[in-house]
Amino acid sequence: MEIASLPISASQRAKLISAGYNSISSLSSVIPAQLARDLGVSENEAIAILKVASQRGGVERPHESHLAIVNGAQSAWDMLHEEEACKRITTSCSDLDDILGGGISCKEVTEIGGVPGIGKTQIGIQLAINVQIPVGYGGVEGKAVYIDTEGSFMVERASQIAEACIKDMQEYDHFLRKDLPGCQAKLTSNDFLANINYFRICSYTEQIAVINYLDKFISEHPDVKVVIVDSITFHFRQDFEDMALRTRLLGGMALKLMKLAKKFSLAVILLNQVTTKYSGGSFHLTLALGDSWSHACTNRIILYWNGNERCAHLDKSPSLRSASAPYSVTGEGIRNSASSCKRARIT
Amino acid sequence: MNPESLLRPHPLPTHTPKCTAGCPILDGFLHGGIPCNSITEIVAESGCGKTQLSLQLLLTAQLPIALGGLSASSLYLHSEFPFPFRRLQQLAFSHPSLRNPLDNILIHPLHSADHLLDLLSRIDSALIKPPPQTRFPIKLIVIDSIAALFRSEFDNNPSDLKRRSGLFFKISSKLKAQARRFGLAVVVTNQVTDNVSSSDGMRIGNSGWLYSSGRKVCAALGLSWANCVNTRLFLSRNDEIIGEDDGDILSTRTRRYISVVFAPHLPKSSCEYVVLREGLFGVNNSGAIVVQQNEL
Repeated sequence: MEIASLPISASQRAKLISAGYNSISSLSSVIPAQLARDLGVSENEAIAILKVASQRGGVERPHESHLAIVNGAQSAWDMLHEEEACKRITTSCSDLDDILGGGISCKEVTEIGGVPGIGKTQIGIQLAINVQIPVGYGGVEGKAVYIDTEGSFMVERASQIAEACIKDMQEYDHFLRKDLPGCQAKLTSNDFLANINYFRICSYTEQIAVINYLDKFISEHPDVKVVIVDSITFHFRQDFEDMALRTRLLGGMALKLMKLAKKFSLAVILLNQVTTKYSGGSFHLTLALGDSWSHACTNRIILYWNGNERCAHLDKSPSLRSASAPYSVTGEGIRNSASSCKRARIT
Repeated sequence: MNPESLLRPHPLPTHTPKCTAGCPILDGFLHGGIPCNSITEIVAESGCGKTQLSLQLLLTAQLPIALGGLSASSLYLHSEFPFPFRRLQQLAFSHPSLRNPLDNILIHPLHSADHLLDLLSRIDSALIKPPPQTRFPIKLIVIDSIAALFRSEFDNNPSDLKRRSGLFFKISSKLKAQARRFGLAVVVTNQVTDNVSSSDGMRIGNSGWLYSSGRKVCAALGLSWANCVNTRLFLSRNDEIIGEDDGDILSTRTRRYISVVFAPHLPKSSCEYVVLREGLFGVNNSGAIVVQQNEL
């Protein structure tokens, strides 16, 4: 786009052209002081010209990506690179990691729902431990925020899962780093527990307050790489007379969590309960909080029983196809299902 | 607003306080007993011993912490009448180390779900400052049974069911908040319903293996309530034929099992138990029971 089309005075236009500024895009990377020097005008005038140019430039896209004009935008190419660099948190169950593209993705909100006893809290505790796996072992080496609304978080269980995680790391040392003496994992299960920031929430107002506070908390603790809410649902199922209010509160909370995930590139895990829904003449199970909530999360994983085996189904994801994988809950935490070793893999 | 440390001070930094069940085998099965700060539900059909177990907990809660108790008084809210005083007294005899154990048990009847909710919002002062006749603070609340409150009052129509599940979450939220604030162990008993629709693929919890008296059963009050409890234990009984002679059954024996349906800290497992005059006791693999006399 030509300078001639800018709504500025003829003398300014002439000065711009004679100084070599032929197109609006050539103005995009110039700072006011330099422009003032080149044109021999006051700095205020130069600022005014740049302002007009940037307004114009915003309407019609320039040919090259000029971040100064389209402020805050990012090209899809850059985003792809960023996503490739973004690490994933393993679930300790390789079948489950496979359908998730390597684990729970940082920067995104993932909802996990299922019936009582299917292992939602177990997955929550497992992720709070796994986020701490050191980079040398392929982990993220971050800290966790655990927001417990139901009171199901048991310290001894977390300690047990942490012990198993340490054992796995020691085995890894043993097999792959035999020749490196003294390269033992020095972590203890208490170190793991100390890196979990635990909030126990007893009402929905507290829940909203803590989620609003997270932004400040994580700014002060930038090594937090996962936020787990167990469960997002519980306090919102006590009879809310005003369902519209509930939808608004939940929507606001989801937006804040999404922003948090993006801003600090951390994973947000929301655990959800199930409820029965009447449609098409029969009842079936569905995740709680209704249809509008189902838009709130980027990824959605549904846990269900398949006979006597626990299964996870990736129900919604922007980049991965939906798929199911069996898993099991063992003394050591979440692991591959025993039957999946025997099963012939057909892909 | 600050996160709390998961590491508690000495002596057991990574242990949730628990109330012993009064038997080393059951304690081993439950990893120490009934956990504080959360709700434990005991599901069973009638005659399995859920009231027995809850009465026993009223006494074991008074044991000193060194013996696995909470050294605490307890509050017993009952909706099934009459309250079994004689049985409680009988059980108290098997705890000779406790001084006037019945003084430390507060009993209150419940008439409806709203009554329970009203009561829960009024007991905070008693939880802060224990009533004068008891020697210990209250650390255990038993509700026997939650099902009886809900099974009569509500119709099977959408508006009643909605009101019912709203009440579940209110009661549970209140109990959990109190459990958390005062470090209480909360025990709730529940009844069972027959599971008639077995093949529609809808499974609630691990209901596949809830078998009692040869019937397929699941916990009463449905899915919403299942979301309200932290730990669900299931007591079952099954009659076993012993000594069969030419097809004539000579005698039968009842075998009772306690199983974990779901719990954040326990694996899916089960343990046999017996109900004796002295209380409820676990049976180990070799068929022996351990009756302990705790001396102070």
